[in-house]
Amino acid sequence: MKQKRTLSSLRTGESAFVDVLDECLFTCKLLNLGLLPKTKVTLVRKSPFGGAFYIKLGGYQLAIRIEEADTIYIDDL
Amino acid sequence: MKKVTRPKFALLGNPNSGKSSLFNYLTGLRQSVSNFPGVTVEKKSGLFEWETGKEALLYDFPGTYSVYPNSSEEKIVVNILTNPDNENYPDLVIYVADATHLERHLLFATQIHDLGIPMIFVLNMIDLVENSTEKINTIPLSSYLQTDVIPVSVRNNINLEAISVSISKLLSSKVKNTITPTYEITDVEKFVSTRVKQLVGVDNLYQAKILAHHFMWIGHLSSEVKAQIEDVVAHSGFNNLSLQVHETMNRFDRFTSVVMETIGTGKNEQRTLTDKVDDVITHRIWGPVIFFAIMFLVFQSIFSWASFPMDMIEQGFATTGAFLSNQLPQVWWAELFVHGLLAGMGGVLVFIPQIAILFFLLSLLEESGYMSRAVFMFDSIMRKFGMNGRSMVALISSGACAIPAIMSTRTISNPKEKLITILVSPLISCSARLPVYAVLIGFVVPVGDVFGIFNAQGLAFMGLYLLGIMGALLSALVFKAILKTDAHSFLMIELPNYKPPIWKNVLITVKEKVSSFIFEAGKIIVLISVLLWFLATYGPTGAMSDAVSKTETESMEREMNEHQKQNLMASHKIEASYIGHLGKFIEPAIAPLGFDWKIGIAILTSFAAREVFVGTMATIYSIGSNDDHQPLRQKMASELRPGTDVKVYNAATSLSLLVFYVFAMQCMSTLAVVKRETNSWKWPLVQFVYMSIMAYAGAWVVYQLMS
Repeated sequence: MKQKRTLSSLRTGESAFVDVLDECLFTCKLLNLGLLPKTKVTLVRKSPFGGAFYIKLGGYQLAIRIEEADTIYIDDL
Repeated sequence: MKKVTRPKFALLGNPNSGKSSLFNYLTGLRQSVSNFPGVTVEKKSGLFEWETGKEALLYDFPGTYSVYPNSSEEKIVVNILTNPDNENYPDLVIYVADATHLERHLLFATQIHDLGIPMIFVLNMIDLVENSTEKINTIPLSSYLQTDVIPVSVRNNINLEAISVSISKLLSSKVKNTITPTYEITDVEKFVSTRVKQLVGVDNLYQAKILAHHFMWIGHLSSEVKAQIEDVVAHSGFNNLSLQVHETMNRFDRFTSVVMETIGTGKNEQRTLTDKVDDVITHRIWGPVIFFAIMFLVFQSIFSWASFPMDMIEQGFATTGAFLSNQLPQVWWAELFVHGLLAGMGGVLVFIPQIAILFFLLSLLEESGYMSRAVFMFDSIMRKFGMNGRSMVALISSGACAIPAIMSTRTISNPKEKLITILVSPLISCSARLPVYAVLIGFVVPVGDVFGIFNAQGLAFMGLYLLGIMGALLSALVFKAILKTDAHSFLMIELPNYKPPIWKNVLITVKEKVSSFIFEAGKIIVLISVLLWFLATYGPTGAMSDAVSKTETESMEREMNEHQKQNLMASHKIEASYIGHLGKFIEPAIAPLGFDWKIGIAILTSFAAREVFVGTMATIYSIGSNDDHQPLRQKMASELRPGTDVKVYNAATSLSLLVFYVFAMQCMSTLAVVKRETNSWKWPLVQFVYMSIMAYAGAWVVYQLMS
């Protein structure tokens, strides 16, 4: 079976649905920020010096680190 | 007289909900800022008259996402909300939510509801939702939360008077609603919460559940109770993390439909103005370019705009001091007042322009939403040094003055990142070092060009700045490795839509920063400057009268005029003072750096502020204070070591002294501000020691290599 994609594998401009989140210390925070299962997420751009993503979901914008994005599994649109 | 006990109201809500703007509206200028006990998290409070003659103490709590916190600010909120005996525990919560992101902002409100704290729900930014053709229906939300829902716009002053009406209604109603929890707890949670409820002795089951999750860091639980809770939790299959996630997901599931009924679907995917602006402002190349352009502007404005008012303040104090010196009798208390107290107060007030200008500009950047973009862009770089994107702004501001820069670290929520930023900021060369560099650099680098284009002294200046920057980054790496922290470092930050700043918020920030500097750091600064004045004015018995008689004979022999005589007197007096003795006492310690006791005195006195070095040198060489450095430089250039024909200010000593000033913590005002921001003497002390060691070691290496 193919390895499940995480949010950090998105290309710039690509969108996907959140599937599940890996349980870790900051899962609640990601949920609080609206990264709920079935939410549509778009990777708008990567940060100038790497390491962080500018993402858009439900009409607003978030910045998250790659490590944080790695805990979010996604489904293709 | 009867003591009036005011009810306590708390403003709660997520970050970016407009909570603080509402706080400013409700309290006006009747507000004060202090710290929560034991921590440096700001506690803003103010008086709010919700009905004629009825005043409440209103707290603006830190922005919070949920009762499962990630930052020290949020932990404080949870500590208070789970302890009805806490002095800050609110009688009533005014919950503020952003209507355009109602779903996210609702979560914490449902948790407060379940805790059984009386609440009114303020739905802010209503104009932004209603613009986009949706009409708001507050009834479903109101019945879900069993509370009044008040649609308002704080920015555009819509319906704000309804808040007071709703509060009056809630406080006068005698009926106490039994709350219907908005989360149905699982069997495990119910079992554990019931046990905790008995152990701690609380009424509310949900409160007990939160205690079961967080008992480790909840302040008001005794260690005995903690051990008992730990026992219950460990033997019941209560999976802390999973259950937090479960609860959060469950809450969202339950209220999604309520949100739909209240504000409609409302999620349009059109490209907004913010998207278009961010295409440029967070662009891979343009983003950093624009950031540095903005920072250059900020830097320039503290550096040059502030210099005029600063000169005015200095001039004003100098004139007043001179006037009073002439008017007052020549007694010790007049001296103390003019040269100790008044000079110390001048030393405090002189920082106001820089602080006011920096915070005016920074709060514009913060209010408009730009700051979180800077955090996003520089997160990865600053992280390598154990700091945060916001540290970048602080470090650049330090190039003008470390004091406002350190005060700006308040907005860094991770304690370790904040501490490192505070500790290394003063290594960036600030404007007070410039006069010192200017006097000394000529002894190291001759006037002239390098490769025909670069000004040699200009290059040397740049070298000193780079040395400071490198010192700051290397120290940051060391602190990153040494300092321990429990707080997890994360980015996860909202990039709010761009909006024009609310001027009232900006002005209140400036006022608050200036007054807290004057009244808190100012006290320490005045105290130290009085002490320094005492040490430089008084000396051991005999020494001072010797200085006077020595001046009399010398001035007679050399036929000096009154002015020259006074300069000579000042020179002999400072040598005979306690600080002069101290300078001679430390001479053996600083000799390996190439410094004599005269430099020793100047190093000691410039603890008041680095630029004092120049004035002290002028006094020691009996030149008298003057803005023109030329006579001083000539005098220093011809100074020989006693009994030899070796120049004191040869290249080796001068460069060693320059390096010493790049690294040394020669600023009592910075230390006073660090004390205030870290809430202890430990960190300013650590900072003083480590920077002094760097300065000594750096100067030693330079001098030993060059001589």
